[in-house]
Amino acid sequence: MPPSAIIDDARKQGRVLLTEIEAKQLLEDAGVPVSPARLARTRDDAMKMAEQLGFPIVLKIVSPQITHKSDVGGVALNLVSSEDVGAAFDRIVAAAKRHEPDAVIDGVAVQRMEKQGIEVIIGMISDPQFGPVLMFGLGGVLVEVLKDVAFRVVPLNERDARQMVHEIKGYPMLDGYRGQDLADVAGLQQLLLKVSDFVERHPDVAELDLNPVFAYKDGAIAVDARIVLTADASEASP
Amino acid sequence: MTDTSHDLRRVLAPKTVVVVGSKRADAYMWLRNYSTFTAGPVYSVQIDPNEIPGIEAMGVKNYTSLMDVPGDVDYVMCAVPRPVAPRVIADCAKKGVGGVALFTSGFAETGEEEGIRLQEQVLQIAREGHLTLIGPNCMGLYNRKLGIRQSTDQGHGEAGDVGFISQSGTHAINFGLVGEVHGVRVSTSISIGNAIVLDVPDYLDYLTDDADTRVIAMYIEGVKDGPRFVRSLRRAASMKPVVVWKGGVTDAGARATASHTGSLATSSAVFRAIVRQCGAIAADSLEDTIDVVKALLHAKPATGRGMGLMAMTGGQSVVITDAFVNAGLDVPRLSAASYEQLASFFNIIGGSYQNPLDMGGTIGFGGSAETLRKLFEILDADPNVDAIAREMASGFLARMWQSNPASLDGLLDTLAAHKQRSAKPFVAILQPQHVEDVVAMARKRIQERELAVFASFERGARALRRAVDYHRFRAGLD
Repeated sequence: MPPSAIIDDARKQGRVLLTEIEAKQLLEDAGVPVSPARLARTRDDAMKMAEQLGFPIVLKIVSPQITHKSDVGGVALNLVSSEDVGAAFDRIVAAAKRHEPDAVIDGVAVQRMEKQGIEVIIGMISDPQFGPVLMFGLGGVLVEVLKDVAFRVVPLNERDARQMVHEIKGYPMLDGYRGQDLADVAGLQQLLLKVSDFVERHPDVAELDLNPVFAYKDGAIAVDARIVLTADASEASP
Repeated sequence: MTDTSHDLRRVLAPKTVVVVGSKRADAYMWLRNYSTFTAGPVYSVQIDPNEIPGIEAMGVKNYTSLMDVPGDVDYVMCAVPRPVAPRVIADCAKKGVGGVALFTSGFAETGEEEGIRLQEQVLQIAREGHLTLIGPNCMGLYNRKLGIRQSTDQGHGEAGDVGFISQSGTHAINFGLVGEVHGVRVSTSISIGNAIVLDVPDYLDYLTDDADTRVIAMYIEGVKDGPRFVRSLRRAASMKPVVVWKGGVTDAGARATASHTGSLATSSAVFRAIVRQCGAIAADSLEDTIDVVKALLHAKPATGRGMGLMAMTGGQSVVITDAFVNAGLDVPRLSAASYEQLASFFNIIGGSYQNPLDMGGTIGFGGSAETLRKLFEILDADPNVDAIAREMASGFLARMWQSNPASLDGLLDTLAAHKQRSAKPFVAILQPQHVEDVVAMARKRIQERELAVFASFERGARALRRAVDYHRFRAGLD
């Protein structure tokens, strides 16, 4: 589906929240490194897609009514074979139906279980005064409790991206603190620039969370993605 | 949309001034504020026959209509009751004045219907007449050189070099008053009030291009057109330092949002980031704003963070180091060459010279100018030192300065000579301690020599750090 079709589709259905699969598709098309997710409607689909993506695999329930997937037993991690994937497909669909009998279940998202990296968050909000603003921070507890994040208004230049990564207090965590693996700081900066570019090209995107992004010694990948559209369609959208 | 075609030079550096609505009840405040105006005539417009004699007694020629004032009028201060304001604004447009500052309040800031309606009316008249309008609900212009003031306490005469833009009349006045006490003089300050015609970017653009203005500071609470503000701020900061003091940093409520990012992006956090992104400098209070401006004006520019610290006692050596390190500056070891020179004469009984230089025992509390000069020269030549800060030991020395002012002058001459010789920034720390009155006198004399002086280690360190950050930004570092 071309990017405009994904947004048009959501608009037609009266949705402002894109599914993870849609969000990742949009980002992937824009060259933002994401862990791809595919929608499997059947057990066989899921097993085939898992073979294509490579193991280990994660499955997540896809339903517009279910936002907290793990609360309803809708997530299965670390599936190492297609038999595992098949069994897990049946299990999480059944669990979701049991917890949320009224929910419409579109299927199951199949994605690779990425190897753990240093968790960071990259986000975007539309500031009422200044327009799109990017956020960068370390993931998990550090962002929740310490609010250790940096902001810059879009569009970012290279200096902005560099300053964002360096100005968080947790920067030493990315820089090999106590023998931690070094994160690819330059790669994170490039990722921020790509997200800035993505946001500029998609005025319909009101909010964006890439959380977590795993940062590795070499490269970084967004493991989860969430996109909220503006309430009204943008005139500038393609 | 703001009309960007206004010629602000005519109104902000006027040759003719008119006050409309001056009255006895406010002790003819505006005529007194402008009594020091030197560039041309000040006229009054007042229709109330009870008020006219008092105005004429001040030696001011009064007219009963703006249209009757002879010749061109560049700057009008309008202080009439609010129902009359639209008529005066219409006259200003008809007369083709350079601009008008509307002191009159009771407009949209009241939140009531009548005020909002009147503001809309004034805006319409101003727009149709292409009128340059400052305010309403403002204290207008302070041009130090021309003697146009916001308060009779403000200084006048020699031009200052700091431009100020303020959403608050109080802070505009106070920046002029308190700044002056700290050696920071205003070039042009504008109290912008409700800013219905001209807004922050208009004034910022003007001050950016104003040759008298070396540093710009502002007090703002909110921004109407974010992208336009960002453009103006970027341009200004690329040409001269801009200090932004934002009032109202606590968010009234969390943003309604569906994302994680939204819950973290408080408006104040975003605003601070934008200030930094534009290359401007964030400040937190009037004192903080003045401190940073002072460092930018009176300390030389530097991009390095290595401090050479000088204190008179061991205890102060420790805490001056703490303050500069906490502000994000470095206190490095000195070069081998410096240590070699210091070892030849530095008194290490009750002192040390690792950096900081704990130098009381070396220069003596009488203060050997010769030895002090030598210490300055060593730090100045040291490649590890980018900037120098000196504690003045006011608590111990103030009584001597008081009884023997020549001792203070001698010391300050040595500091001033160092500043002149050295390309590195120099800041003096003069703590009020228990001798505030003497310290106030000493501070005045330090400032007469255009030295950057601060009341505490922390304030000096934080101000210098941000000045260094600015120069690093300009140099493309960081």
